This record gives sequence, C-alpha cells and structure tokens, in this order.
Amino acid sequence: MTVRNTKWPGVELSAADLHEGKVTSTRFRPDAKYAWSAGEAMSRFLEELQAGRLIGRTCGKCERILFPPRMFCEECFRPTDEWTYVRDTGTIETFSVSYLDKDAKRITEPILVGVVSLDGASPKMGMMHYFGEMTKDDIHIGMRVKAVWKAPEDRRGSVLDIEYFRPVREGES
Amino acid sequence: MTFLDRTTDARRLRHWEGDIEADYIYTSGIAGERFFVALRDEGRLLAARCESCDLSYLPPRMFCERCFSELSTYVDVPEEGRVSAVTIARVDRSGEYLATPEAWAFVTFKGIHGGLVHRLLVEPERARAGMVVRVKAKPRGERVGGITDIEGFEPASS
Repeated sequence: MTVRNTKWPGVELSAADLHEGKVTSTRFRPDAKYAWSAGEAMSRFLEELQAGRLIGRTCGKCERILFPPRMFCEECFRPTDEWTYVRDTGTIETFSVSYLDKDAKRITEPILVGVVSLDGASPKMGMMHYFGEMTKDDIHIGMRVKAVWKAPEDRRGSVLDIEYFRPVREGES
Repeated sequence: MTFLDRTTDARRLRHWEGDIEADYIYTSGIAGERFFVALRDEGRLLAARCESCDLSYLPPRMFCERCFSELSTYVDVPEEGRVSAVTIARVDRSGEYLATPEAWAFVTFKGIHGGLVHRLLVEPERARAGMVVRVKAKPRGERVGGITDIEGFEPASS
C-alpha cells in the first residue's frame, strides 16, 4: 500500500452483503476430517503408560536404550531393534521453579517442573514432568526421584498418567 | 519396522480425530454476478463478448483471454446446445454410491467459446455426445443465483 493510492480497483463487499444475499456466492463446507496418530513408538509408549509402565527402544548398534522410545536411532541412522522396559525411578537432570501456571497465569505457590533421566535408559534419556512432595528449596540437580502414578482406572494413556515425581524415600532403591 | 515401512492407517495406533473447519463463501465475481443474476431473474444464459476478437465466452469472464481487453458486452447464449462429452456418475461428490447412476454432460453452443457441465436429464444408457439439448431451469421462485438454478440439460425435441 502506498500513500498515493486511495482508491483500489474492484468491488468492496461487507459481510452483510454476503449474508443478506446482495451478491451471488457459493457456500461450501468441505468434509475434511483427520486422524492424527502418535506414531508407532509413541503409541506403544502411551499404551504402556496406561498399564503403569515405562518403555523404551534399544539400538543394537550403539547399544543405547532410547527413552522415550523411537523407531529410528538418530545416531546410527538405522531402525531400532527391541522394546525394553525402564524403571520409574530416576535422577533430576534439570528443573525450573515456575511462578506461572500452564495458562501463563501468575501464581504464588510455584510449580516445580523439569527433566528426569530414568533408571534403565541410557544416560540423559528421560522425560519432562512435574515434581511433588518437595519444596523449591529441597529440589536440586542429581536428586533421586520416583514416579507417583494415578490409580489404574484414572489413567488415560497420557503422560499425565504419572501425577508427578517425588523424592525417593529411605530404603527405596 | 524399516525406513521403507509406512503407517498408512493412523487409526491403528493411538490417535486423535477431528474436523478441519474450512468453510468458505466464494463470490461469483463481476462477470459471474451478471451470469447468475440473469439466470436467476430471467432464466437466461449470458456470454461475455469480445467484438475485436469475435469471441463470446461461456461462462462469461471479465477479460478477453486473447487480447486482454476488458469485456462489458453480454450476449444471449443460443437456446439449443450440443452435448460434446458425457460421463455416467455412480458416486456423489462425497464418494457415496448413488441409488441410480446419473448422466452428466459438457454442452457447447454454436458461436460460443466454452460451455457448461451439468446433469443430462436422460436415462444414462441414452446419453450420447451429439445430442441436441436445452437448459431446464428451476421455477423462478426456487432460483437463488447459483449453478443449481439449472436442473440440467434436456433433449431439445421433448
């Protein structure tokens, strides 16, 4: 748009012109449906979450255990080989103390979130989740944690089938 | 699973279904407006005329495709046209099988560049290229200014 042009060729129409039928038009609603799939690896991962288990994939070449599972090894550029369960205990790799909730609303009691590397998977392989049963002063990198699962009937095949990770208690591995 | 395997049915796996809301209103445009208003109000078919190229366009357009001049003259399309191609439709536009097959035709008119695709209102086994046909329009009160204001083409002799 330039300053010199004040009038444009064509016919200006308002929404009312269309809705009142002042001009002829064609209306159509395409029957456009989709099914979005989580994919082979993530689907199995979600099924297993509903069953209260965490699963990964092994790569026989680099001998890593990939978690969350994927069907291709990004290091070796080859398909991964086998399914293997990993434990629901792990170590905090990184965390945030958030004074914003998931709708970006300010809150006074902070939410603790971060990444847990899980026991049984290769180093640094893990998942992001909430932390609970600890304060912002307790939480630290290297802290040992364990998943707190929802009751089986409340699980939906979602990453939220785990409520949060809590500190490992005395006597727990 | 190898690199060459493909997941062809997302519903076999964990999936989420939805609708893409892609509703649209498509206006007829300046020449299209003339065409549909004449069809709706008078039951006439109009073509846009380029005098210098001696060409009449159906459906009408705003510009001559040959000399690029703006067209503002409209002429009546002859009442009788000729079927230049037929096809038999067995499914509707959403892919559902029709109860009875329908004949569809591309109809051209003498002295007119272009033509119209519409239903051919004869038994499918009688549908032939070369038939002489005329427009069967809906009654005036049912016409809304769209291509469906035409019911189809019927044999001119009937």
